[in-house]
Amino acid sequence: MRTQTLAAVAGVVVALGLASVSEAQSRAFRTPWGDPDLQGVWSNQTLTPLERPAEFAGRTHLTEAEAAEYQARLRRQINADNREPGTLRDVNTAYNDFWWDRGERILPDRRTSLIIDPPDGRIPAMTPAGRARVAAEADANRREAEFPAGPEDFDVYSRCIIRGALPRLSTGYNNNYQIVQTPGYVAILQEQIHETRLIPVDGRPHIPGTVRQWLGDSRGRWEGDTLVVETTNFTDAARASTFRGATKEMVLVERFRRVDETTIDYEFTVSDPETWVRPWTVTVPWFRPDGMLYEYACHEGNYGLANTLTAARTLEREQQQGAQPQK
Amino acid sequence: MHVRFVALVVAGLGAAAAPAAHHSFSGEFDVNKPIKLEGTVTKVEWINPHAWIHIDVKRPDGTVESWAIEGGTPNTLMRRGFTKDSLKTGTEIMVDGYLARDGSRKANGRDVTFTDGRKLFMGSPPGQGGPPQ
Repeated sequence: MRTQTLAAVAGVVVALGLASVSEAQSRAFRTPWGDPDLQGVWSNQTLTPLERPAEFAGRTHLTEAEAAEYQARLRRQINADNREPGTLRDVNTAYNDFWWDRGERILPDRRTSLIIDPPDGRIPAMTPAGRARVAAEADANRREAEFPAGPEDFDVYSRCIIRGALPRLSTGYNNNYQIVQTPGYVAILQEQIHETRLIPVDGRPHIPGTVRQWLGDSRGRWEGDTLVVETTNFTDAARASTFRGATKEMVLVERFRRVDETTIDYEFTVSDPETWVRPWTVTVPWFRPDGMLYEYACHEGNYGLANTLTAARTLEREQQQGAQPQK
Repeated sequence: MHVRFVALVVAGLGAAAAPAAHHSFSGEFDVNKPIKLEGTVTKVEWINPHAWIHIDVKRPDGTVESWAIEGGTPNTLMRRGFTKDSLKTGTEIMVDGYLARDGSRKANGRDVTFTDGRKLFMGSPPGQGGPPQ
């Protein structure tokens, strides 16, 4: 404890020595007990793609004119009035904009990808085992839509277990978070699908590797004004419970730094040598949205899962009836 | 039988490519069975992950059928200014969607329109746009 205090004091001294306008702003946000203050409602919603599109290969940023054109194009592409009657896209996506809340804007810095490392803005190459896991998941996804045998054939999101493995990226709607702090803990409430990450920042070690959790096991520490959170102990106990085909041994390191009243600089790095040939890193600002989080009680009305199972049983019955006369 | 199998394989591919709604609608609703319904709202179930609108549909022979229409997530609807009281019981609406694959009286509410032609969920200001420029 004493060592930590000394380290913290040393950190402050160094920080003061290097003070810039940005750091001074960051220091202004403190909790009553002196920790950097990340509290409030935040959103990571953006139209900027995770990976750099081929058309922008070799370029990290767009010009103002290009950004305006690109943003307008993205808005047209996600416009639900792009109707294609009789197609699966029409069934799955052709709802008007009230169904979706993907955002209207790309990032203000006009980056071409959320990924900043590797420098090409793309997810690194997958190992053969990683590719096999992704292919297996695609097969499982087809089974879910065709003939799910039971709830276990659905992914963790459809089952209302979790939205998906950490880390979170901007999705179709409800990209909102609320951070609450106490001395020794940071809590992050995720609107979709209302899980809370309770992150100790008191130096305790991770739980044993034999204990696996849907959101893994997070441990935080303060590095100057930045909250650094390392998460391990993920689980592959259900479909899509790991991040983008990773194994449960993936290590996630997130960095949160309050830069002004309405912005947190958020960065994550994921490492899993069994899946990707190298770690990769994303940065995306968390901004202050209008309004508040609403409860997302996912099990309350998850009729869709039951309806899909009933559809599969109906089809099965029809097929059996159809097959019988041939016997 | 063979034709149905091919159709299902295509359906699966579509589902894999679909964006992140809470669940795959193509597993729940039949792309080959578009449906138009006209009826009176009897109840709005304001529940996650998706709201459901219940309507009574009068058949040409005078009988009444109850239908359930799947809608969006209430949280997002709230942000768009739509609440559980926005669609009153007794309101006449038209629904354009796809029939449930299990053959029951359910459909997805791709479009919901009032009898005067106004779209229920169209034309209002957007919700959160993303980080400020």
